[in-house]
Amino acid sequence: VEREVIVGGIGGQGIQLLAKTLALAATREGRFAMLAAEYGGEMRGGPSKASVVIGDEPLRALPVLPSTWSAILAHHRFTESIVDRIRPGGVVVVNDKLVDPATLRPDLTVHGIDAGKIATEVASAQAVGFVLLGFYNAVTAMVAADALAAAMAELLPPYRKQHVASNERALAAGAAAFADSAGSGDRTDAAAQVAAHEQAVA
Amino acid sequence: MELLEGSAAIAESAIAAGCRFFAGYPMSPFTGLLENMSQKLPAAGGVCINAESEIEGVNMTLGAAAAGFRAATGSCGQGIALMQEAIAEAALNETPFVVFNMARNQQDYFQCTRGGGWGDYRTITLAPQDVTEAVEHTQLAFHLADKHRAPVIIYGDPLIAQTRVGVDIGPRDFGPLPAKDWALDGTSSGTGRSKQVWTWAMGKSTDPGPGPDRHWRAIAAKFDAIEPTEHRHAQGWCEDASTLVVAFGSAGKFVSYVVDELRAEGLPVGWFRPITLWPFPGPALEAAAATAKRVLVFELNGGQMIDDVRLNVPDRRLVRGIGGVSIGESGLGFGDLMDAPVVRERILEAMQ
Repeated sequence: VEREVIVGGIGGQGIQLLAKTLALAATREGRFAMLAAEYGGEMRGGPSKASVVIGDEPLRALPVLPSTWSAILAHHRFTESIVDRIRPGGVVVVNDKLVDPATLRPDLTVHGIDAGKIATEVASAQAVGFVLLGFYNAVTAMVAADALAAAMAELLPPYRKQHVASNERALAAGAAAFADSAGSGDRTDAAAQVAAHEQAVA
Repeated sequence: MELLEGSAAIAESAIAAGCRFFAGYPMSPFTGLLENMSQKLPAAGGVCINAESEIEGVNMTLGAAAAGFRAATGSCGQGIALMQEAIAEAALNETPFVVFNMARNQQDYFQCTRGGGWGDYRTITLAPQDVTEAVEHTQLAFHLADKHRAPVIIYGDPLIAQTRVGVDIGPRDFGPLPAKDWALDGTSSGTGRSKQVWTWAMGKSTDPGPGPDRHWRAIAAKFDAIEPTEHRHAQGWCEDASTLVVAFGSAGKFVSYVVDELRAEGLPVGWFRPITLWPFPGPALEAAAATAKRVLVFELNGGQMIDDVRLNVPDRRLVRGIGGVSIGESGLGFGDLMDAPVVRERILEAMQ
């Protein structure tokens, strides 16, 4: 099975690092991953999009995904085209202070989180992408939670290593926010939810 | 497996193939390859030079290759336009190196397969469909260059340069190669028997060469001999296809993906992907098109490969282009046409 996620937002939200972290975590787990990135020349505020595909076999997926199993929407700008590609019943994680879940298609399984607020509380506003990633991974169980933290630490350049601990807190806080919303801190609950969701889609 | 951006994977594959000299001038989306080479090649004992222009880059590469080293240069089509003179010279003076066209789109098909230099020459051109194949082609390109003593082009694109995938990179063995006894390695200096790499092959007064007439006839004969032996292709569902879709590079991957889906839905469609653009796999295409009532060409340009398709199918009246020019907003990548739903729609439309 190949699992796709399209991540969209604006430059500065950490979209690209989020996607790299997820793809590297899967690679370090010995699985196949593909990451296709698309972004404008602007460092801040321009469109930023990334697609990650993860599978246990060599991937068949195209670098421009015709459709996706899931999505992470960090900002309302530039993300409409992503919503169009989510398959019916797909999982969507939204940064719900910037993307109104009510505006999304009713068939989608939407999980909202105020990622900006949590990032500011446990780390800094810049860690918003890692809050979203921790939350998304708790919902979908794409990779092991500690694989995410290890991949994040590996990806940070030497002059950013001081942020490893706060990024770890951001990942964990994202995961905890899902556990709270699901009424349990148990990962298997999240996995069970995904399984139930898949059954519903099938 | 390492998760590598296409540019990094190609750089590592080139180094694994023994490339020890690289020179080029940055131009997106080739810049990533130059950057990776500049970071990785010195550690492997090689030299990477950010030249002052593409013309200098390719001529430095020609020099390193003439000295017997595995060498490469690259750019996107715009920069490779500037390199045409040196590529033609290298083809005619038999200097093997690799040219990476990390193109912005598919508009360089004519440039790769027809060339813009002078004289009777061709450039073997490999068009990978994705990063994994580009890693393989990079190794093959150095082998083919040495085997035939000729420049070889890898025709990539932004999706190949910038997509990250898990890949394994190691040296590949394509069989033995002749010794580079022609290389200007300095060993015969001062002996009176110094060697020459010269397009006109005149030789020296003490040691005359064959001269341009005999030399260029031999070069033309060499490319004639390469044509029927080095063509490569991939195909699917052709045996009973009434519609055949032909595409190269990334577009070929998109087309095979869509055609596989259409087949699963019961439609009699097949796909054909030239892997070498020159030599064009004409006989294989002719056979693949045997049952086709229409041959569709999906390429992201105004219609270039379609000429070769028309030259090789049993009936050229069945050939129709379903691609077109499609450039992304930045000018540096593909536009909306490189998308499976669009490819699907165009194939279905043409089948009506």
